[in-house]
Amino acid sequence: MNAGARPARAIGAIGRMRPRARRRESGLLIVVALVLVAGSISLGATQRELAGQKVSLLPADVGQLSIYLAALLLAHLALILAGRRSDQVLLPTIGLLGGISLLLMERLPQALVTQSLVGRTFGLASIQLGWLLLALGVVTVSAIAVRSDAWLRRYKYTWAAAGIGLLLLTFLFGNEVNGALLTIQIGPFSGQPTELIKVILVIFLAGYLSEFRPLLVDASMRLGPLRLPPLPYLLPMLAMWAIALGIVVVQRDLGAALLFFAVFLALVYIATARTSYVVIGLLLFVAGSVLAYHLFGTVRDRVDIWINPFVDASGKGYQVVQSLYAFARGGIIGTGLGAGLPLVAGHLPIPAIHTDFPLAALGEELGLIGVVAILGLYLVVIERGLRVAISAADEFRSLLAAGLTLVVGVQAFIIAAGNLKLIPLTGVTLPFISYGGSSLLANGVVIGLLLALSDRGVEPPPAPRPDSRRRARFLGAARGSAR
Amino acid sequence: MNHRERAPIGRGIARVGLILSLLFGLIAVGAGYWQVVRASELSRAADNPLVIATARDVVRGRILDRSGAILATSRNDRNGEPYRVYADRSLAPLIGYASPVYGTAGLERAYNAELAGLGSGNSLDDLLYKLAPRRRQGDQLTLSLSLKLQEAAVKALGTDRGAVVMLDPRTGQVLAMASTPVFDAGAIANPLTAQAAFTRTSAAAGQPFLNRATMGLYVPGSVFKIVTSIAALGSGAISPATTYPQQPAAEQTGLLVSGFRVRDGHHDFTGSQALNYDQALAVSCNIYFALTGLRTGGAALADWAARTGFGGAIPFDLPTASSQVTNGGGSFGGGFSDAVELANAAYGQAETLVTPLQMGLVAASVANGGVLMKPELVTAINGPSRTETVAPQVWRTVMSPGVADTIGQAMQLAVESDWGQIFTTGAAIPGIPTAGKTGTAQLGGSAEPNSWFIGYAPADHPTVAIAVIVEGGGHGSARAAPIAGALMGLWLKTLNR
Repeated sequence: MNAGARPARAIGAIGRMRPRARRRESGLLIVVALVLVAGSISLGATQRELAGQKVSLLPADVGQLSIYLAALLLAHLALILAGRRSDQVLLPTIGLLGGISLLLMERLPQALVTQSLVGRTFGLASIQLGWLLLALGVVTVSAIAVRSDAWLRRYKYTWAAAGIGLLLLTFLFGNEVNGALLTIQIGPFSGQPTELIKVILVIFLAGYLSEFRPLLVDASMRLGPLRLPPLPYLLPMLAMWAIALGIVVVQRDLGAALLFFAVFLALVYIATARTSYVVIGLLLFVAGSVLAYHLFGTVRDRVDIWINPFVDASGKGYQVVQSLYAFARGGIIGTGLGAGLPLVAGHLPIPAIHTDFPLAALGEELGLIGVVAILGLYLVVIERGLRVAISAADEFRSLLAAGLTLVVGVQAFIIAAGNLKLIPLTGVTLPFISYGGSSLLANGVVIGLLLALSDRGVEPPPAPRPDSRRRARFLGAARGSAR
Repeated sequence: MNHRERAPIGRGIARVGLILSLLFGLIAVGAGYWQVVRASELSRAADNPLVIATARDVVRGRILDRSGAILATSRNDRNGEPYRVYADRSLAPLIGYASPVYGTAGLERAYNAELAGLGSGNSLDDLLYKLAPRRRQGDQLTLSLSLKLQEAAVKALGTDRGAVVMLDPRTGQVLAMASTPVFDAGAIANPLTAQAAFTRTSAAAGQPFLNRATMGLYVPGSVFKIVTSIAALGSGAISPATTYPQQPAAEQTGLLVSGFRVRDGHHDFTGSQALNYDQALAVSCNIYFALTGLRTGGAALADWAARTGFGGAIPFDLPTASSQVTNGGGSFGGGFSDAVELANAAYGQAETLVTPLQMGLVAASVANGGVLMKPELVTAINGPSRTETVAPQVWRTVMSPGVADTIGQAMQLAVESDWGQIFTTGAAIPGIPTAGKTGTAQLGGSAEPNSWFIGYAPADHPTVAIAVIVEGGGHGSARAAPIAGALMGLWLKTLNR
């Protein structure tokens, strides 16, 4: 153990910062800015032609785009000034995704969401721009300020309690959105707690799995062909399964349940490298799914729609069928930003286009090429995040980085695959693109933490807590003495 | 730091990353499937907003009959907005309507994309359209239908509910497809009267919107004996010379099948004579066909019926209901539940349900020497987005020419022999050899039976096949047979000369 006994600090000293150039990030951000300006010019030309105005090469909304690009530049400058040796690809990647989101929201009817604040009424794109700026702020602040992870790893049960508490709050005070308890209202603000809970879940799991990893890997009891850990260590898995099922039952939020359980299983596999856990987990998943299918109408509806949405194309299958129509209209090259989504009697064909189906809108207007490019951007986030995880200094950081990455990657998969009828549709947001503050801020925390974890110059992990060593010896695990 | 311990974590992370990458690849494949493979089909669906939006400012293509008579065209209202007008009410259940308020129905719905000029089906065209949008012009449809024959068919059905299907057995082309009651499609298409007309038609008795010819399911009664004949003769279960010694006696006492008596007795004059196949079809002997059904077996009956189109949607320009020989699920063979059901189904009662189009195809397959042509209504599409002529297509070979010939001769005797005429009065066309079979479908209770006729003419070289049903029309010879004789005569002697 080479851990020095340096005091753990949550917030680093600002006075010690030494600026460091980030050439790769600068270059990539220039590319991002060019792409977004080009997209905005294309959108502006289409919008003016449709409105019967003179076509010019002016961007759609110069003000909003300038503000967004300026915010990206500020975030970049802040990272340069902070001088940390953190990843240089993540910020441009999510910057591009966020910019695409801004263009999409500018293109949709502004009246989809309105909010009155200080005597002014803001529309969809203005509100989304506000959340994007806040999210970039969260990314930057956590990327610069988080220098120690002790506050994350020490208090894992506190985090777990906070997560469960938030979950219970949603159970008790949740507002219903499309038949699911999704949001809680605090004053004028409403938020989706599950977005925050997913981050807390990863923090807890990283702490729990890194501490009990030796036990989970070595100790075993046999059950037929499966090598299982002793019962006490199976309990978290069962608890996790029960929580996921609880989310389905009480909240009827299938997307969050699927996301939590998938991330949990992936982290258990990463921590233990034992396929038997994955097998048990998948069996539990199948059992839970069958149970939910037979017990709950919502689940049955989703599955039936998934099997054939065209049976009830104007009723239950409406949104999925309209989503597929949108993809089909786009074809390979797309209609161009602003030229798709024909209105039916003045309404958009897909009501939840800005939250649950942004990929369908982008699929229509940017075509298959655009969809593949966006999928590519998510793969870049995943690759960078997992790279951080693999080269992290210890298991906690590895698991934390991997979990944070998976949260973004798996969530993007769940909603993209749902839009394309590859899996039953479950309402989660498309990270960085969907409209909504909770999602943007939570994913901002994820990227900010990943940036912080990617800094090789950061202080080494703290020493393991003595009481966990004692517990390990007590349980007779051989590894305990090696630490 | 212990590196032996850390290695598996890295490997696990790499593996999870690989799986996630594969899953994202799967999404890309899924996007390619919907955006490339299925794109042109989905982009032409009637309820696709693009189709609805385009249909609004396009002048829909015209619909013509076989001789070029205009069946549907568009006119401009005072504001210059186009709306649809139709030649005759007799077309309404078939052609449907295109309304700015109520969308589309019938052929207007099935060919909405073509009529609205979206039907290129050519991705290069679509690509060019995307790059340089121009105003769409609807395609023109030419039908095999004869407007005059269609009008005559609806007139013949009169105030009764029913359907007539007439087609050319050599090509499968539909000559007339009538369904009554009809409605005023033009009033639904006209924006000024749309709402009142739609409300009135929806509430009207007899479901005028229903195209009975393709979607109406009826108990067939004795016309189903032609299907039983195809199965029995086709599978070799019987020959034309087959007689059943127990049949004459059963006419009096009923035929005992598993404790249940199948009764007949509507042809007392055959006395103690055991009938052969020709005679049995001429007098429509239920006992003979019940015994034949039992000898053929449920599985063979269901199989041969399926060859003529039973048990599935018929490939056609309009949606079709699927006809059935039985509810299915029974263990007796072919889905029949027991011998009683099979015996009753063999002469067209039990759980057997058919569409008029299906029975028209049965007649056409016999008329065309056992070869069933794919039924078609639209023979040509002409327009800016595509020009296409639909050639006649063989759908299936149902039976051998020999079997078709045997059944055809018996059907001719059923119309023209002394015995047969008693049951098919009015079907014979003076001067033209005619083949056919009536049906009197009992509905149970005291309801008047449905009156059926299927047949074709001229019997020696058939050019028209027909199926007629008149709901509650009584015996087959009371309503359906005379209508069929008159319509086939009109077609052969006057319209198609």
